[in-house]
Formats: sequence, structure tokens, C-alpha cells
Amino acid sequence: MSGTTKVIGTGPGAWFGFIGSTLASYPGRYRAAYHRRRTRTILLTILLIGSLIYPVIHSVFLAGFSRNVVPLPLPDDTVMTFMTIFAIMSIGLNIVAGYAGLLDLGYVAFYAIGAYVAAFLASPHFGQFGIDIVFLGHVGPGAVGIHLPFWIVAIVAILVVATFGALLGAPTLRLRGDYLAIVTLGFGEIVPLFFKNLSSVTINFALGPLAISLSNVNLTGGVQGINPIDPPFLPILDVVFDARSGPLAVYFGMFLVLIAIVVARNLDLSRMGRAWGAIREDETAAEMMGVNTVRTKLLAFALGASFAGVAGAFQASYLGATTSDFFEFSTSILVLIMVILGGIGNVWGALAGAVMLVYVDETLLPYVSQRIGDIAPALPNPSQYNFLIYGVLLVVMMRFRPQGFLPSRQREAELSVHGLADADAQMGIVGEFDNVGVAPPGQDETGSDSRTPETPDEARDL
Amino acid sequence: MDQIIQTLIIGLANGLIYALVALGYTLVYGIIELINFAHGDVFMLGSMLAFVLIAPPSNGGWGIFSIESGTPLPLLTIQILIVLAICMASMATLNWFIERVAYRPLRHAPKLAPLITAIGVSFILQNVGLILGGAYQRTVDSVFPTDNLLAPFGITNIVLTASQVLVAVVTIPILVALSWFVGKTRQGRAMRATAQDPDTAGLMGVDVNRTIAITFIIGGALAGAAGLVQILYNNYTVYTLGVRFGLNSFTAAVLGGIGNLQGAVLGALVIGEINAISDRYVSPNWTQAIVFGILIAVLVFKPTGLLGQQLADRA
Repeated sequence: MSGTTKVIGTGPGAWFGFIGSTLASYPGRYRAAYHRRRTRTILLTILLIGSLIYPVIHSVFLAGFSRNVVPLPLPDDTVMTFMTIFAIMSIGLNIVAGYAGLLDLGYVAFYAIGAYVAAFLASPHFGQFGIDIVFLGHVGPGAVGIHLPFWIVAIVAILVVATFGALLGAPTLRLRGDYLAIVTLGFGEIVPLFFKNLSSVTINFALGPLAISLSNVNLTGGVQGINPIDPPFLPILDVVFDARSGPLAVYFGMFLVLIAIVVARNLDLSRMGRAWGAIREDETAAEMMGVNTVRTKLLAFALGASFAGVAGAFQASYLGATTSDFFEFSTSILVLIMVILGGIGNVWGALAGAVMLVYVDETLLPYVSQRIGDIAPALPNPSQYNFLIYGVLLVVMMRFRPQGFLPSRQREAELSVHGLADADAQMGIVGEFDNVGVAPPGQDETGSDSRTPETPDEARDL
Repeated sequence: MDQIIQTLIIGLANGLIYALVALGYTLVYGIIELINFAHGDVFMLGSMLAFVLIAPPSNGGWGIFSIESGTPLPLLTIQILIVLAICMASMATLNWFIERVAYRPLRHAPKLAPLITAIGVSFILQNVGLILGGAYQRTVDSVFPTDNLLAPFGITNIVLTASQVLVAVVTIPILVALSWFVGKTRQGRAMRATAQDPDTAGLMGVDVNRTIAITFIIGGALAGAAGLVQILYNNYTVYTLGVRFGLNSFTAAVLGGIGNLQGAVLGALVIGEINAISDRYVSPNWTQAIVFGILIAVLVFKPTGLLGQQLADRA
């Protein structure tokens, strides 16, 4: 790090301290830099407070204003909750694609598995088999089926989804990036198909004393899916977070997003996060340095997937229903666009991308469509062609700003077509990441060309 | 037994369509190692174009070459050849344009950038299809008589229709021509050289950009032909057709060994048969899952495919 910025630490304490020291208008030659940071801090504070109070303001005032006085493109409670659901997913996919550099085009599969875990563990569905387990569930006594509270459901979803992620990743992570993309795409298509088709299962299995004989068992609810699913709730206060509870569900989602951010940040800064970065930049070199590449990639895959498991469990519990139609290839791509748009490799970018894209998809485009429909019904309906817009966005982003709008500095350097050396020079970094090993005696460890590729335009796996 | 043979005939006809599309994937992958996600949608647009050219105005087409059943054979042949030429030329132009605008600027970008661009292009093309053809399936009446061609030989249990013969008549010459082009011509040699090592090929005087452009043009032309055959044989198109057909064809290319032309055709025939057998004997609901299962199994256990070259160091 050069001396133009001061390391201020992380965490809320340091943050308030920074506001304090910034407001004290530190004089001297760094004033301009501090001024910039102060503006940023103030803006971020306003943004944070705004997003915290917005759901309440919306429900008590803005919704009525928009409905009765002037129609405004304002996100409502459902849209805001979906912002948090997609934020959890894009933060998770960011671990896979951003940190570890593995392109997962079937992320929706894990979302679907999470949703169906919630559907199995918190609904009357298994009552048909005479399985009745009620443990701290949000149901009255004598309820049929399995009813577990959301926290247990979420933990089970994490475990199940991480297991599936590991099962899929174990054989496929040896493959190259683009082959991995295809395998995950296939997985993302198969999983919803299974949920759709396993509505009439007949098993005749007999092995010695063990005999299972089921005929026409409705395992997944088929096309209709499973409902009703118990909502998340707070036991003593008896507060429920579902589609009818308005801003409360949004705050519940925000809480989950907060946990996701903390986990993702800590993973990124951990030893594992450094290993991911090393693999992403140069897998062979990372392996030479003693990183167990298969295990590290597998962990990225499974951990990233588990975020989608939580998101899926929350989505199913929030809506109170799930069907296989929710889980399409386009959802995987939507999450990928959120990560790319926001800035690949950066938690805040993924968060911003999710909020922006859900807003555009669920609020802005329908709003614009309605306005256009009011004025000129003959014109095409933009919300019908949303994926045309996203397709153009992907192409244009990859062409002109592959690092996204809020990139992590490291990823920005890697994605620059001019290669690392150029970007390093722009950022004033000299050998910041070279402390992975000790140089032999008499040899300069941080040679200025140690990270320069042989040719500037050398093809590099993302 | 008759039923099995009947199923295999259906699978063979569909397999030949897959072959035309799979060749587009394998050509592009062979030369720039890009999984061209948009290729299935180029095929879909080809079928849309064939639809609007062939279908009568009452059915939503432009009716320029409305082919009706009962047209005398020489006239029918000429009409089909004209539509085939239009479809091939248009899709070749489209594919060239896509390469020029979307992929060429990313030639030296990180590997996954063009892949993500290809996904974007795929969505754009799907929406173009949506605008052109609407959100629902468009069907045309079969232009060929549905008589059993085997009936004069005394075989009545197995049905072979004229449209199934047409698939072979259109597809096989194209496959032979492609094989000749890549194997025997100067430009084909340039393509093979570029596929092996673009840098060295460039040093040896091959115009790499031009060669890649020609590869895309050939792939587009094949997809255009496949689009017409789809309309003439399966008689329908829809804007999401490219996704399903594209993934089947890509699976075929991978199964045969991606980058290998004979492998793509072989893989396509196998995938066509598997589709038909699964549709007939398992359930159409599971066909897609079976195809994807095969794709995953091939990539995991034998990434080089059935006839693939030694790509182990790449894969």
C-alpha cells in the first residue's frame, strides 16, 4: 500500500471512529483524499439508514401515495423481500464465481433444493405417509406432517445443499472452466425436472428382510408443488415473516443478508479466501505453493451453494408454497448477471447488483410497461422482453466493463485486457500479493515482473 | 421388433438435424474453444425464417414460397432449394455478424468473458425470435404426403415417410460437402491449422480472423439448413426451440468428442436415438434429464468423447 490512504480497520467500531476523525476535518496534504472518503462515508450512511427505514415509510405512506396520488415506480414489500433473497444468492454465487473463479450456470438447482427442503420439513406434505413430527413448529397441536422451525430448516438446507454441491463438484471440478459451466448447467436443468416428475413414484425393493414397496407415491407434489409451507416466525413474540407480514419479512430478509455478508467477507479474508484467489489467478502456481486445489474448489462450490440453499428455504417459507416452475435456467443467469453487473469478486457489488436487477425486473419494467400501455397500447411491452435487455447488458458489460460497476480491485486488475502489470501500475501496487512464500536467499522476492504474464494478452481462466 | 425399428427411424431423422447443429458447436469450439451458447438460437431463428417463408399468410407466415401439399415434385424441389439457400445465407450472415460484433473484440479477454457474452447473445436471439414468432408454438402443415414409402415393398408395420427421406436427402449432401471442405480445400486446411494453434497458423500466413469468420459462417449456414429441415420434418418452431435443440446438439458434440466433425455426427445420431428411445419407452418427461445425465457422465468420465482427440491436457 502506498501512503495515500490510511488503514482504518474494519467493523462498526472502526467505522464510527472513522466518521469521527473525518468530521474532525483532518488538515494537511491528505485533505482531498479524506474529503472524498468523507463524502463516501456520509453517502453510505444515508443509504444504509434509508434502506433501513424505507420499508416502513413505504408501508405507512408511500404505498398509499403511489396508489392514490401519483403512481411511482416504488418497490413494494414483496419486491424488497425478493431483493434480499436474490442478494443472498448473488453473494453466494460471488463466492463460487468471484472468489474461486468457477462459472456455475446451474446455481438455480441449489435454490430449488433449498426450497424443497423447506417444503419437506415444514409442511403437511409428509402427513400422507403417516409421518407426523412437530418440533417448535408454527402449528397447532395435532398437525399432520413434519413441522420444524425455520432455523432448523435453514441449517438442514445448508447441509443438504452443501452435500449436493460437493457431490456435483467432486467429479467435475477437475474439468476446465467452460466444461464445468456446462456440467452445472445440466445439473441446474435436471434438478427441477426431478422435482417436477417425482410426483408418482413406484418402488418395489426387496433385499432379505428389508422390503420397501411403494406405489404411486407423490414425493414432490409434481407440477402443483407443495403448499402450505410454514412461515419463519419468532416463538415468544409470535411474529410471523411471510408474504402477509409486509415490512417485517423485509427486515427478516435483511437480517439473513447481513449474516450472508459477514460470512462471505470473513471467508474472503480467511486463509481459504486467499487460496481461492490464488487458484483463480493461476491454478498451477497455486498448486505448486501447496494449495490443495480440488479440496479448495470443492469448498468454494459447496459453501457458495449453501447460500442458495438458505435463499431457497426462505423463498419457500416466505411464499408458503413452492413449485418446480420457479427454478429455471433464466434464474441462474439472472443471479449471474447480478454478480457481473455489480462487480465480480466484491460482496457489495453482488448486493448492489441484486438490488438493482430485482428492482428493474420486478418494479421498473412493469411500471414502464404500464405507463406505455396507458399512453400507447400498440407499442411493445418492455417487461415481456426483459431478457432482451439483460442479454444486451451482458454483451455490453463484457465488452466495455467486464469488471462490473463496483469491482474488487484485485478482480479489476485480472479482468483488464492489458494484463496485470498495467493495472498494478495504475493502482500503485507493487508485489502486494507476493508474500505467499519465502524467497530463496539472495533473490529478490518481489521482483516487479513476478506477476506479469508472458504476453499481455495471454488467455486466462476467469 | 417393428416398434423398435420405427423408433430408430424417428431417432435417425432427428439425429441428422442434431448433427447439423452439433457441427456448428464443434466447429466453433474446435477453432476458438468457445462454447457458443447462441448457436442453438441461430438454429431457432433459421427455423423461424423458414416458417415465415413457407407458411401461408393465413397461418402467420409471409407466404412468399408457400409450399402446399400436392405441389408437383420438380416445383417443390426448386422451392425447397430456394428457401434452403435463403435460410443458409441469412443464418450465415447472422452468425458472421455475431462473431464480428460480440466475440471478436473479446478474442484476448479472459476465457469466460466470451462465454458470458454468448449467453447474452443467446438471450438476445431468443427475444428476436419472440418478437418475430410470438410466444406460442407455430406449426405448419406437412407439405409431404404421409404415405408409407415402404408399402409398395409389402412392409406395412414400419412407416417411412417422405419427410424422413427428405431429412436424409438434405442433410447427408451437406455433411459430405462439409467434410470435403474441411478436409480437402486450402481454406479447410487453414481452419485445421488455426484449430491446432492459432498463433503458429498466423505466423504461417493464415489469416486467423478471416478463418474464424469463415468457421462461423459455415456454422450459421448449417444451422440455417437445420432450421428448414426442422420445419419440413417436425413442422413446428417456437422461440425457445434453440435452448432444447441446442443443448441436445451440444451434448451430441461433446459425446462425439468436441472439435471432431465425424464425432459430432456420430454423437448426434446417438443422441437422436436416445431421445427417441426415451420418448417411446421411458417417458418424454425424463428425456431431457437422461440427455443431461449422459452429458454429465461423458464430461466426467470421458471428457474427450467417443472419437475425441487427446484433449486431456486441456480438459
